[in-house]
Amino acid sequence: MLKLLTYLLAQKKATLSDVCPPLEASARGLPALTEEACTGTGCNACAKLCPTDAIAVVDEKTDSGSAKVAIDLGACIGCGLCFQNCPTGTIAQNLSTRNARRKREELVLKNDEVAVLPEANTGNGSHNPFKYSLHARVVSTGCSACDLEIAASGNPIFDIERFGVHIVASPRFADALIVTGPVGKGMQTALKRCYEAMAEPRVVIAAGTCAISGGVHRNGYTDAQGADNVLPVDVYIPGCPPQPWQLVYGVLLAMGRQSCLKPEEDVILCHPTQPTPHPFPTQSR
Amino acid sequence: MKLDIKTTVADTLTSDLDSWLTEKDGRRTGLLTSIDGSEVMLLLLDTQGGTAELWCAPVPDNSYTSLTLKFPQLHWFERVLWDLFGVVPLQHPRLKPVVIHEEYPQKFYPLRQTEWQDNGHNAVHDEHHFLEVHGAGVWELPVGPIHAGIIEPGHFRFSCLGENIVNLELRLGYVHRGVEKKITEVPWQKAHFVAEAAATDTACANALAHAIAVESLLDLEPPLAVQSLRTIALETERAAMHIADIGGMMTDIGMVGLAATMSRLRGSALNLAQALSGSRFFRAYIVPGGIAAYPTASALLQAQELVVSLKKSLRPVLTMFQENQAAISRMDGIGKLKRSLAAEFGFVGVAARACGVDYDARRHFPHGLYPLKAPPTVLETSGDILACTNVRIRELFASLDLIEELIGTSRFDGNSDRAVTSLPAKLPANKQSCAVVEAFRGELIHLLLTDEQGNIKRYAIKDPSLNNWTMISIMVRDNLIADFPLCNKSLALSYGGNDL
Ligand code: SF4
Ligand code: SF4
Repeated sequence: MLKLLTYLLAQKKATLSDVCPPLEASARGLPALTEEACTGTGCNACAKLCPTDAIAVVDEKTDSGSAKVAIDLGACIGCGLCFQNCPTGTIAQNLSTRNARRKREELVLKNDEVAVLPEANTGNGSHNPFKYSLHARVVSTGCSACDLEIAASGNPIFDIERFGVHIVASPRFADALIVTGPVGKGMQTALKRCYEAMAEPRVVIAAGTCAISGGVHRNGYTDAQGADNVLPVDVYIPGCPPQPWQLVYGVLLAMGRQSCLKPEEDVILCHPTQPTPHPFPTQSR
Repeated sequence: MKLDIKTTVADTLTSDLDSWLTEKDGRRTGLLTSIDGSEVMLLLLDTQGGTAELWCAPVPDNSYTSLTLKFPQLHWFERVLWDLFGVVPLQHPRLKPVVIHEEYPQKFYPLRQTEWQDNGHNAVHDEHHFLEVHGAGVWELPVGPIHAGIIEPGHFRFSCLGENIVNLELRLGYVHRGVEKKITEVPWQKAHFVAEAAATDTACANALAHAIAVESLLDLEPPLAVQSLRTIALETERAAMHIADIGGMMTDIGMVGLAATMSRLRGSALNLAQALSGSRFFRAYIVPGGIAAYPTASALLQAQELVVSLKKSLRPVLTMFQENQAAISRMDGIGKLKRSLAAEFGFVGVAARACGVDYDARRHFPHGLYPLKAPPTVLETSGDILACTNVRIRELFASLDLIEELIGTSRFDGNSDRAVTSLPAKLPANKQSCAVVEAFRGELIHLLLTDEQGNIKRYAIKDPSLNNWTMISIMVRDNLIADFPLCNKSLALSYGGNDL
């Protein structure tokens, strides 16, 4: 026991003080749209490669003369194929961890509109009751990787508890319901009941691409179309699974505390590395 | 590996299977399912020879005599078969739905493609009935589907006498997402994204099994450097999850300081994964034809440093844990499982090895650099959760040693070998293949069948959890309710992989 105590006391502080910094350069991150012009459906490499059909390219021109491109981050699983194979640099790799948004449509990136930024302060009026304390209940309906990352955001490195966030074991104690996974038929009743058991005010956080849109599972026979198919959702956190900082940012957004973070660009582009050849000929299909 | 279909007769399936299994040592049933509802399909594994056979027995009237009566290891498979195809295993001792709950319409068989005929057998999915235990003082404890922690959903029904568990019945299927069907619906080139999301904590093993199944249809053998990186990835995934599961055990024993250390160290394993692949879970890394990209020289250097320092930091923590008398006595004798039962129910992975079942797919079936580089199988005999934890710890270090060795000795020459081989636009028609991979939970099987156009017509995944969920019911019997969490942690099973 003494040995154990000595060991623990000798450990240095593991917690990172820089909150929600960009991902390391080795990480894949999510796609972002740049100002570079897209040549249109003649290329279509991104849309053909995207595993979840999250990208649409149309030949209509934007004001700056590019073809119109839309990427739904709510369906994106972060495979990296679109930005690795985009010949014009219209789609680039984004290493920001601040990707969560309050509205579903804010996750759809378009190059014919000015990007919609999240509101600077809280979403529900001037006062957010959860600003300094948020007790959250996590309901998983997915494959467990999202859950592992939520658990990781509570570990000594990310330490989400320092913001007053606690994971609780009953909906009765909970202010927030964090949903992971695509919410297939089997979990819809249980999830609704959990929500109904929570006292108001309450917020719902859809964590992970499955919980936003069903991800790779959407449009199947199990009605797995994401959390807002069943419940009103207040915050959406994209990623499959989202990294702990991305989850922390989403929770801070739900608390109305994102403005306390060190200011940072919304999109942090990574300088393109060598393009990776893709095994599948893009012309087929 | 490639497979031929051997047509057999449903009526004699029990005796045929019996003689096949007893003919030679090391034979086991891989999985039981159907292609489209008009047959029962059995994948049989010869672990000694590293080969497999595929049997198909037509069942024209939707029913056959249950194999569970003779082979208990198939009981869960037959329930899922009934769920997904409406094929009734007659005389199955406990025929209940697994994945298709009452929320779905009656007689909804999602994978069935032939017409369903009412043959008068009990084929209606009605409300779930739990096994009732009667007797003075017996009480029931329902838990779930939503659990207290951050974990996937499932329902546990305990029947207890005082604090003792008399019976535990599981009801799973809450996270059924339709993975197997989805794989046949997307273009086959994109199927690997769905396959690895069967259970993303096992993304690497799932992606590897999928890649092998596709590559063997195409007679494709990726270069050595790719095989080596795939092996490193598989072992990194195993190490990360073993660290998580050992840490979970520490939490449940109440050693929170050590558990926090483990969750920090798990971060290093995930960083190792990210350095190599760009993703902490190796998402979209192993693809049919190769891997997404070779790591850069600096990434390899970083990976090497990470694995060396991880080993160094884990050693004192785990030694303290293994020497701690409180921890030992908390685990000693709890959740004891007999070897004979483990063999009878076909259990796999760490927990099976903890009671002496000598089976590690890395030694028997080719994947990555295996069986060539397979570490010696770690075995214990006592079958309790202490043995299980010890197996896990030894396997963890074996994985880290192997990663270090492979990073140090392999030549990853990105210029001479391409990371991915271009694949043809079509898969060969009317062919079938399978892959057996040792995931961190145990034997994982993917089975792929193509139709006349070369599209995937049936894709079956057998997560190790499908074999092992029964284990938890057996091991908690006559243990205290308070021991259940430890038993559960010790097995660390997947709900998503089971429910698909
Ligand atoms: S990174 Fe996202 S949007 Fe791009 S191809 Fe992959 S899944 Fe689609
Ligand atoms: S978003 Fe990805 S990681 Fe999360 S539950 Fe879905 S498949 Fe799993």
